Amino acid sequence: MKAKWPLLAILSLLVLVLAACAAPAAPAAPAAPAAGEEAAPAEQPAQEIDFVTWYQYDQNNTDPKSDERVGNAYLRKTIPEFNAAFEGKWNWVNQPKAFDKMNAELVAAVQSGGEVPDLFEMGTNWVNLFYQNGTLQDLRGWAEQQPWWKDLDPSAIAACTAPDGALLCIPMSERPHLVYVWKDRFPNGFPRTPEEFMKEAERLKQEGLYAITFFGSTDYDGEGLTRAIWTTIASWGGSLDDGQGNMKLDTPENIAAIEFLREIVQRGYVPEIAFAGKFQEEEAFKDASAASFPTGLFGYRYVNPLTAPDGTQYSKGNEEDMLDAIAAGDVILEPFVAPEGKKPGCGIEVNGFGIPVGAKHPEAAYDYINWLMEDIDRNAEFVLGPGGGFPALLTTRSHELFQQPFYQEAAKALSQSECRPWYGSLMRVAEAQSMVMQTVYRLIKEDPTLDIATELRKTQEEYNAGN
Amino acid sequence: MEQTLKRRAGKSPRNWLPFWLILPTIVVLLAIQVYPAIYTIWLSLQKRTPQGWEYVGLDNFRRLFGMGLFDESVGHTIVFLVGYAGLTLILGFFIALLLNRNLRFSGLYITLLFIPWIIADIITGMVFRLLVVPDYGLLSGILQNPDIFPPNGLSILTAVRPPSWFGNFPFPPAPAMIYLILASSWRALPFITLLLLAAMQTVPHEIIESSRIDGANGRQIVRHIMIPLMLPTLVVALFSLTLSGMNGVGMVFSLTSGGPGTSTEVLSYLLYSIGWRQLNFGRAAALALLIAIINWLLIAGTLRVTRLQQRSE
Amino acid sequence: MQRLSLPSWRTRESVLVNAAMILILIFAMLPIFTTILISFKGEKDIVRKPPNFFPCDTPDGRFDITQCRWTVEGYERVLAPKPADNSLLGFTLTGNMVRTYIPNSLTYASITSLAVVFLAGLSGYAFSRYRFRGHNFLMTGILAITGVPLLTNLLALYQMGTVLRKADLPFYNDRLFIITVYMGFFLPLSVWIAKGFFDAIPRELEEAALIDGCTPVGTLLRITMPLALPGLMAVFLLTFVNVWNEFIAGYLLISKNSLKPAMFGLYEFLGQNIINLQVIAAACILIALPMVILFLFARRSFFRAMVEGAVKG
Repeated sequence: MKAKWPLLAILSLLVLVLAACAAPAAPAAPAAPAAGEEAAPAEQPAQEIDFVTWYQYDQNNTDPKSDERVGNAYLRKTIPEFNAAFEGKWNWVNQPKAFDKMNAELVAAVQSGGEVPDLFEMGTNWVNLFYQNGTLQDLRGWAEQQPWWKDLDPSAIAACTAPDGALLCIPMSERPHLVYVWKDRFPNGFPRTPEEFMKEAERLKQEGLYAITFFGSTDYDGEGLTRAIWTTIASWGGSLDDGQGNMKLDTPENIAAIEFLREIVQRGYVPEIAFAGKFQEEEAFKDASAASFPTGLFGYRYVNPLTAPDGTQYSKGNEEDMLDAIAAGDVILEPFVAPEGKKPGCGIEVNGFGIPVGAKHPEAAYDYINWLMEDIDRNAEFVLGPGGGFPALLTTRSHELFQQPFYQEAAKALSQSECRPWYGSLMRVAEAQSMVMQTVYRLIKEDPTLDIATELRKTQEEYNAGN
Repeated sequence: MEQTLKRRAGKSPRNWLPFWLILPTIVVLLAIQVYPAIYTIWLSLQKRTPQGWEYVGLDNFRRLFGMGLFDESVGHTIVFLVGYAGLTLILGFFIALLLNRNLRFSGLYITLLFIPWIIADIITGMVFRLLVVPDYGLLSGILQNPDIFPPNGLSILTAVRPPSWFGNFPFPPAPAMIYLILASSWRALPFITLLLLAAMQTVPHEIIESSRIDGANGRQIVRHIMIPLMLPTLVVALFSLTLSGMNGVGMVFSLTSGGPGTSTEVLSYLLYSIGWRQLNFGRAAALALLIAIINWLLIAGTLRVTRLQQRSE
Repeated sequence: MQRLSLPSWRTRESVLVNAAMILILIFAMLPIFTTILISFKGEKDIVRKPPNFFPCDTPDGRFDITQCRWTVEGYERVLAPKPADNSLLGFTLTGNMVRTYIPNSLTYASITSLAVVFLAGLSGYAFSRYRFRGHNFLMTGILAITGVPLLTNLLALYQMGTVLRKADLPFYNDRLFIITVYMGFFLPLSVWIAKGFFDAIPRELEEAALIDGCTPVGTLLRITMPLALPGLMAVFLLTFVNVWNEFIAGYLLISKNSLKPAMFGLYEFLGQNIINLQVIAAACILIALPMVILFLFARRSFFRAMVEGAVKG
């Protein structure tokens, strides 16, 4: 027993020292010069008020290869700019959130009357769920008074509109889905119809390559549904609801679309990594082993570095790689394939800002939105950074940044397709997303013998039982 | 309890002491454990509407049982628990047998063997995931070789489950489920080994020696002497494994996220998805109550066994 | 750890047993070993398809130990060292992980464990030394409440945190709240373990002290506590590791980056690209390492607490 005393004493002392050191060290950290987060109120002039935002980006994460480096760097640059512009009035404090958790966290925070931000960076996929939970304020009254209102793309406004007509977000950028294609993999051009696609895919398979990779796993609660799966269904003219808030899956269009997906998966045109989750499907496109990749326009920020089929390296390791590859003509943007007589479809999500119910300083959020809307350069900078899409503000589209080949290519591809959001009139989007994705996965990957119509019917009945 | 103490306090002031000693613990537990439990019961009867909470009776339970995924998760949970507890107990017993011999380096072996236990479940999941990331994981290089696993090689995180032998019951399990069991066992094994070793060392030396003189071989000694004497500990180990397997969510979270498809979707992860992803708090509370009942049965079983053991001592 | 001595075992068998143990250890260490390996690879070797175990091959495919391309890139990215003049080493570590998350974890773990040791010590003593009505009921109750799945407790705790924050109580802050939550999670088992340790201390010593004129509290502080200290140390260490390794409560309850514990910080790396595998590995190692070191130094304490906790609880 005696022999243990020194060890015990040292350990307890150590722990006490650690505790003593850690406590002041931690709060001190955010007060470092670069940090915009939660600076102690005492450090600012008394009249400055904290303007709290939730972004999925972290201004303190300086890792040059972090997946969210583009957004991180954007915040790092603009937080001081905003604070300088509104000196003495607002002090912008950003709280970084995990992208797959922030929606749920906001709903829970509003529900329990917790601390909510003044401004919430969001996508419109959850608008119906926010509406159902009473999470966001109606901004229509305020927004219609603003000079930029008339300049907003009406379809982006529609995406922000709740079923009762309330405007739950201010659209900033539109993120349609399209297909990134390695041009050299398709000497005859990217196929237009499923039949052509099968022919090309078989040829590529003989060369040891894959025709396509996509988010095929059920990871992130069925996030994959909102991407290639919905793009396919939309291209076949399908939809997931009956327009009245009920799920309606067993339509001939949906069945045909899923049959197409099942066929390309079962014939081995899709690499295994497409089903690995955690966005690892991107890897197959990066090294050109998969020839095409249907995903969101914003994908350019994440899909890098790249190796072209001819061995050309695009290895800056940031968003410029994809832009360079497109400028060089190695990567082209295309609409998805569609059966004869159908227009290629695509998913679209609008990215924008919401103001939660219970926000302490909505005026700060108004100032911030105006700050981004009134200066075309600043607006373009946002859309190119965290926005990752086309500007919702029509005048910004003529900004020189959007004249580069990437955006011209994208606009060309999109002009040939028809984009609509996947959820239609469905309200419980989170539940629907994960249920439908799990069913689709089972049908296309896991059990190719299952009857598609039966499984789809089962899923829709389970969902509709909750209506 | 307070009244009892008060009554006794009249006789001697000393009897107040245990009350004050226990009070802070009870207060913390009431706040952090009991209140949430009661809240969960209330919540399981509610539904969220834009206006607030609405009483819906047993609707959440009905909805829960109507979920295709619920039935499936029950199957997965059973497969997982049987595999996890079985594998860990058998391996743990075997290693404990080895360590029970007078090895020169037992101390060193135990220490090294124990390191996995100290590693968090979420880290364990990530570490095991790193090994089998399709195409890039170190083990994927071997497993995905078509010569070893014809015809296409085995990619653990994406391979589909084999056709089931018993209707809807998910057996044989998907490779990802087997891998999840391996990873969970890897982390639980040290603890179980130590527990069994401690019990093994209480088996009186004389009994083993005398039966050896009577001509019993090693296997007979294990089967007829050690296992019966260690039975209470084995049961405790089994219950503790079942409890941890039933409630742990970190490993599924970081290793498979329930995938591929739904093949590693166990009840605890389903609870997480329903509650914290889909924000269906009412239905999540209903599921939580079901899990709680199973937990209580397991805890009651453990207590019974240890009581019996103490009484027989 | 007392051992059976069985001198009759032949050396050949001992060699076999040792060989088996070493084989088991190799398997147990494999995931840790490969993670260390990955953490020292560079991006070029991480994205190799098929992967190679050691980044040591020459362009013509031979293994050459002098050609190894070990780097600390992964660690650099986690720690993000920046040159600084006023720092001792000439640079400061600016990664969120070292600057914020790990200090947070240290704070939470050490304060929680101190508080748990204190409370569990008091109530463990009371349960061990006094018989009062409700004694068994409370002991069982303390264990039974751990049966409610943590995930749903969190629903209520989340709301509780919100209400408390709004109430603007003096002394209240978010750190205090999460520490209390961790206390509630880890107290029940600790009370049971502490009671077991007190049971093992002979009452005669205390009675002698009481006869000599010590007050009950004086006896507790001067006689019993020092004797129980190794046991309480074990409780401390066990709680420390449990809090450090806890993920899901921190993940769901903590909403500010500046309050995140290390396990939640690790989550930031979970969804990263393949090119970042070495960063994930490095982060895992950096977070697991302190606990492994702690364990290696204090393993006896851990073994004691665990066996006590499992057998009694």
